Amino acid sequence: MDELTREFLIESQEGLDRMERCLTDLEERPQDAGLIGDIFRSVHTIKGTTGFLGFKRLEKLAHAGENLLGLVREGKLIANREVITGLLQLLDGLRSILKTIETEDAEGEGEDVVLIGRLEELQLPAQAAVKQLAHAKVSAQASSAAPPVPPAAEIKPKLPLAEAPAPTPDPDQGAPGTTASTQGPVTASESAPVAALSTPAEAENDPARQRAPIVGTAAESTLRVDVTLLNRMMNLVGELVLTRNQVLQATSADPNMTLLSRRLDMVTADLRESVMKARMQPVSNIFSKMPRIVRDLSQSLGRRVRLQVEGQDTELDKSLLEAIKDPLTHAVRNSLDHGIELPDVRLAAGKNPEGILKLRAAQEGSHVIIEVSDDGAGINVDRVRQKAIERGLITVERAAHLAERELLQLIFLPGFSTAAAVTNVSGRGVGMDVVRTNVEKIGGKVEIDSRTGKGTTLRMRIPLTLAIIPALIVRSVNQSFALPQGALSELVHIPPEQAATAIEWIENAPLYRLRGKLLPLVFLDRLLMPGVEHKMATERDNFIAVLDPDGRRFGLVVDGLADPEEIVVKPLSAVLKYIGLFSGATVLGNADLALILDPGSIAMKAGIAMREEGLVQAAETEVEADAAKGLEYLLVEAAGRQAAVPLTEVLRIEQLPVSRIEYIGYRPVLNFEGQLLPVEDSGGVLAAVQDNPKAQIIVVVCREGNRHVGIAVSHVLDVAAGGDLFEAGTAQRTGGVTLLKNRVTGVVDLGGVAPLPAGEQASAEWSQTVGTMA
Amino acid sequence: MEPDSGDNGMSTVAGALASTASINRKEKAVAASLVEMCTVHLGSTLFGVPITHILEIVGAARPQPVPLAPVFVGGLVHYRGDVLTTVSLRQLLNMPPKEGRQDLLVLESAGGIFGLLVDSVGEVLTVSSADHEPNPSILDERRRVLFAGAYKLKDTLLVMLDPEQLEPMRLSAARAA
Repeated sequence: MDELTREFLIESQEGLDRMERCLTDLEERPQDAGLIGDIFRSVHTIKGTTGFLGFKRLEKLAHAGENLLGLVREGKLIANREVITGLLQLLDGLRSILKTIETEDAEGEGEDVVLIGRLEELQLPAQAAVKQLAHAKVSAQASSAAPPVPPAAEIKPKLPLAEAPAPTPDPDQGAPGTTASTQGPVTASESAPVAALSTPAEAENDPARQRAPIVGTAAESTLRVDVTLLNRMMNLVGELVLTRNQVLQATSADPNMTLLSRRLDMVTADLRESVMKARMQPVSNIFSKMPRIVRDLSQSLGRRVRLQVEGQDTELDKSLLEAIKDPLTHAVRNSLDHGIELPDVRLAAGKNPEGILKLRAAQEGSHVIIEVSDDGAGINVDRVRQKAIERGLITVERAAHLAERELLQLIFLPGFSTAAAVTNVSGRGVGMDVVRTNVEKIGGKVEIDSRTGKGTTLRMRIPLTLAIIPALIVRSVNQSFALPQGALSELVHIPPEQAATAIEWIENAPLYRLRGKLLPLVFLDRLLMPGVEHKMATERDNFIAVLDPDGRRFGLVVDGLADPEEIVVKPLSAVLKYIGLFSGATVLGNADLALILDPGSIAMKAGIAMREEGLVQAAETEVEADAAKGLEYLLVEAAGRQAAVPLTEVLRIEQLPVSRIEYIGYRPVLNFEGQLLPVEDSGGVLAAVQDNPKAQIIVVVCREGNRHVGIAVSHVLDVAAGGDLFEAGTAQRTGGVTLLKNRVTGVVDLGGVAPLPAGEQASAEWSQTVGTMA
Repeated sequence: MEPDSGDNGMSTVAGALASTASINRKEKAVAASLVEMCTVHLGSTLFGVPITHILEIVGAARPQPVPLAPVFVGGLVHYRGDVLTTVSLRQLLNMPPKEGRQDLLVLESAGGIFGLLVDSVGEVLTVSSADHEPNPSILDERRRVLFAGAYKLKDTLLVMLDPEQLEPMRLSAARAA
């Protein structure tokens, strides 16, 4: 395919995308001249360009559409529903031909007689009413009969120029000459002889006019870049990040290199951010496809639906955007098919006959949330339960134990569909499980919320970028492995002396009691090297990483932990993907290679089957039921006394040597990831170990308002739901204490942690004090 | 066929062809001329890999082992931003593993880029197709697939390796069959 055709394809596709957006808007504002003009230009540009590229079939179809649009533009035809439907069909027709050109480099054999006939039929009311019809017809024939003229004569020198008496149009003249185009092509061709002249000029002028605004504004500051080039750049930046890490490690001892390596560090970080930014695209790229889908579906299903879109500017990595297109479309289809009721049903239920479908995107930390919500009938939980039992997805006993929310999540199981009849929209039982699989494939999560009679919300949590993910580096079989933090919920350390009692066995199945519930364990070394003698759990440290991929909860036992790292994911060759346990590889800061573990596949390989999900969920239900009674707290022990910290405020728990604690005056502070954290020591933990600089203490890092504070404790005991306590007599709720595991426990007052002195002067003072104290 | 100036011209054309595409077809064109071979030592055998397939030679590679991988996989190496799967020629030929350093050839095949771990890489020789003979029939079947005949050098034989046959996916398919 030559460069010209490729450019034509890209431009036409963009034009058609714009046309699609405008068409759905037009339905709401049929008189909007700007919209009509936009649509007209899109079709017209295609027609004009196809002429000299020699795509006759495309030209013919575009021409028929242009005629119809011309009438609409002149106000001789109202853009009613039929017309818009016809134009949408035209859009599909044009798209399919463009697709054929893209794949086969030819426009294919098909005939568009039916579609063209339909487009002509739509012009009829206008033709009957308007006298100029004849002119329009003439001009139509004239323009289709006129030989297509190339933008510059050298493209097709053999073209009979004599037939186009107009001087060979000069693109340079055409581009700024946008004023000429205010004269509509149809009006310009009122009389046939003029038409013959104006058509070539128009065919030339118009692409130029189309390009003109872009040339003037966007084209100077934007550039089309091939995605593969961006991918390559991302790869190279990842490489640079790794090299930088190695340079930093190697030069850390050399004072001469410090400045240089610090600059390298900064430049690399900036570069990485810029390249990642270059890959970002607004979600409007996929949201904009939805109005059309909603329109077509609601018409075919007899629904009345209004689409509301929020957060269109939210940006997401391009590859992720591609990946959520299908799940999103599916969710929208589902909402229309199963969610929003028919207008009369809605009326009977006392609702507005017009249903609302809402698409919302928002960024939350390192994730983007995408929600599809409707105000329809909601999901009937009893039907879900019944269906799940019918299909053998869960047993009757388990179903009875599940809470409503858990039952709802069952619709994500393969082979589940509640549609009474299979419609061609959805309901083939390959619905929501595909949504879940697709979203989880890119490291996202999906959940559903529904209230009978009120509506349903499907929420997708998508990581901002795929290329670089946070991971915990674990050790096993004398190698490092990267464990993506997305699936990791907590870590449990079992020292060798406790292993014999802490790890329990049913025959040869190892289990661990995690807060009273049995957690199946998978030993990574035994999984990776079967048939080899491994150290017993009692002869080494055991770290249980509690993982929860696709609802298969299990503990992965490794022999060591290293620091968490931001890793750059590199794909594995097909032969290694086939092993199934690894999702990729990465290069660590110390230049070692590490394989990236795939928790889902490990669960499957180890036989942590889906059927256990019901059990686990039932277990979680109880935890949640507990939680419903009150806030969850982290139970800590400081110098012999127990205290509670609200779990929602806990950011992380750090174990560190007491020597890391520094003092500003008498105030203990922690230099935590480059930021200063005030450490609260009301329990006297620091004082107790002050003489022993090697002693380890635990600092619970909490959020308090918009600052972070640390609480020094000697042990972290458990997580439990707190109960409210009421003062005897007054029956007023007491503050500052909670009932935790049937013991009255004081809640740490995070707000009471005195703030660090603020201001420049103060900070200068501190650094002095810190210097002298440390 | 005698190598003469005409044949030399052909080899240049063949070289140019190889760099563009169709590595398989090129094999035939080269077979009628002079070929440049990178020699590789493995145990007591001298192997040759056509240099048109070699992207780079990396000395003293430290491959990272991959648990549960097929036997012939020598591990992973980091190569210019990508993670390469390597094939260990020793493991492939069921030879005992070698202690100490190994050299790595980065090879390009129709199936992609991969690494080949060998004991050491030697010099580049120009051999003539006139000295080439096909695999002897007494060779076991497995080796008959991997080797592409041998060149008779003055004092030894240079066993030619076919990079296409060494591609990991292909090896894995062959093992499954």
